[in-house]
Amino acid sequence: MNPIEVSHVAKSFGATQAVADVSFEVHRGEIFGLLGPNGAGKTTTIRLILDIFKPEKGTVSILDGPMTEAKKDRIGYMPEDRGLYQDIALDRCLIYLGTLKGLSKVEALKRLEGYLERFDLADHRKKKVEELSKGMQQKAQIINTVLHHPELIIIDEPFTALDPINTQLVKDLMQELRNQGTTIIMSTHQMHQVEELCDRIVLIDEGRDVLYGNLETIRRQYSGNAVLVRTAGELPSVAGAEIVRQHNGTFKLMLAEGTSPQDVLSGLMAQEVLLEKFEIAIPSVSEIFIRVVEEGDK
Amino acid sequence: MSKLWLVALNEYKRNVFKKSFILALLSVPLMVGFTVGLGLIMTSLEENDAPVGYVDYAGFLENPLPAPVDRSDKPIEFIPYKTESEARQALEAEEIQAYYVLASDFGETSQVELLYLKEPGRNATQQFYDFIQINLLRDQPPEIARRVTVRSEVTIRSPDGSLEFPAGGPALGNFLPMLIGVAFVFLLMMSSGYLMAGVVEEKENRVMEVLVTSISPPQLIAGKVLGIVAISLTQLAAWILVGILAVIVGGDVLGIEWFQNPSINWGAVFYMIAIAVPAYVLASALMFALGATVAEAQEGQSLGAVFFMLHMIPLYMLVILIENPNGTISIMLSLLPFTSILTVGFRSMFAVIPMWQIALSVVIQTLCALGALWLAASVFRLGMLRYGQRLRLAEIIRNRSTAITKASLS
Repeated sequence: MNPIEVSHVAKSFGATQAVADVSFEVHRGEIFGLLGPNGAGKTTTIRLILDIFKPEKGTVSILDGPMTEAKKDRIGYMPEDRGLYQDIALDRCLIYLGTLKGLSKVEALKRLEGYLERFDLADHRKKKVEELSKGMQQKAQIINTVLHHPELIIIDEPFTALDPINTQLVKDLMQELRNQGTTIIMSTHQMHQVEELCDRIVLIDEGRDVLYGNLETIRRQYSGNAVLVRTAGELPSVAGAEIVRQHNGTFKLMLAEGTSPQDVLSGLMAQEVLLEKFEIAIPSVSEIFIRVVEEGDK
Repeated sequence: MSKLWLVALNEYKRNVFKKSFILALLSVPLMVGFTVGLGLIMTSLEENDAPVGYVDYAGFLENPLPAPVDRSDKPIEFIPYKTESEARQALEAEEIQAYYVLASDFGETSQVELLYLKEPGRNATQQFYDFIQINLLRDQPPEIARRVTVRSEVTIRSPDGSLEFPAGGPALGNFLPMLIGVAFVFLLMMSSGYLMAGVVEEKENRVMEVLVTSISPPQLIAGKVLGIVAISLTQLAAWILVGILAVIVGGDVLGIEWFQNPSINWGAVFYMIAIAVPAYVLASALMFALGATVAEAQEGQSLGAVFFMLHMIPLYMLVILIENPNGTISIMLSLLPFTSILTVGFRSMFAVIPMWQIALSVVIQTLCALGALWLAASVFRLGMLRYGQRLRLAEIIRNRSTAITKASLS
């Protein structure tokens, strides 16, 4: 059984339908992207998974069944923004939250030492959380999420406020955890991070899942309406294709409806253009995101 | 250690080691100490132990009897002078604080003349009055003289003997139920305020999300309430310690009679605690629910002030409670939630409260406390993660009824 199985869940607050119909599964040992525009229902979906809210419709299975108190110790959750006591020392805060996840105080302290060193926070351990920079607080939250070595991690916007060095640090940690068999659900707006890290995704829009599956498969599905072309000479115009971008001598041509990459290739060959590169453009996750959401709006 | 105790311990540590808590802890004994100290200073300023002179032209005070003096008072020395000029010299040389002149017709007029440069101490004038009185009565049988000098001694006692005002005014024990009531309301307001502020803060900084994914809501609520109870017990223990210290110092060191014979009515202490405990749970549960409902701390504090006002109603009605401690309003306020603890405390000073009223009050407070816990549990789940949105009463009722319907169908 998959660590998470969400089936047609729905949840509303008063007149607001936060989640209308969302279904997906998360496989063991993968990084799963939970994507969607602001207000799409991502956070509510996370809270439904974590049993913070009860769904009005549908079912959620987490770690082979409904949520139990014992399972909470096997899950690490990082809410978006904050999530730590502000008025106590960093180490005290993390040890307390670690013990609530079933660690002994000694074990929590031992593990904390290593993580504080790794995240360059050892010198700040006695500072109150509110005295730390946003980036430091973000790293502290990540430590809190992984300290008890959970088998399932749900993490909301992990890269907020992090500089490139710390972003890489977190990415390395996530990949390391995945390699160790930890399942990670990541909700983020940073699409390039999704491209780099996620194995599979679900895109939620207006409370419904509108795109779901293996990331590479999805990107291939959405490819075909653009090609990348580099020629030895000047690029002539081709019927049904429009140049939208040029970068380092490579042109990106958007194809009109009814025009296939083969049509463009034939057109270029017919004009005896000397081709150095002809490649079907794989869209970025960001492009797919925009396309799907805009189509939904129409 | 179970998660419940971890939450309780964290709640305790987070609040007890704060400067604001230590300040609040010390504020009550300091305030009481300051008031008592100010009273003692004012009294001592009105007293003067220097000798007092007298010139007796009437020959009334030849071989006088000494003035009877209370144990707590220092006896004043009365110095006789033959002439007024001698007495005046002594006054100007500050050997005496004042002198009296008994004219030759004192036997007829009973008038004395008091001369001083600075108003003499009240203790001095009182002791000279007693000095004259005991000497006026010297020809009377000793028991009559004594009866006159000690004045009236009236002990007020209720028919069943459960309430007694000793001669010379109420004892410390008479005030104890009221003091317990005030202390509990103060504790309740302060600690339930901590609870609400803590919940709102955890909601605002999203720690609540982390907590509820680590521990069950009932464990979380129970842990927090336990922590708050421990905080209150710390405060109570500190105040009791200060109280005992005050009684020891006041009674044994300073010799204040009021502290030497406190006359504690343990029955009243018991029923005050019996009412206070459910009243405490009621207030804590409501403040917890409030914390889970409101969008921000400021809003919670404003609404919390309404609860505090409700507790203060007996203070506004104090005149009615004193004038008619067994009237309808007094009985109603003794039974109602929020007002019960202070009302019963005040009434206990002036009347014997029938046991059925105490029992009914405890039952009402307990039922209200259970209802408040039920409400807190309902509201917590609905409102804990509503950032920037207040939970409406209609929503709570609707969700409760839905939950009940679902439960009855399943």
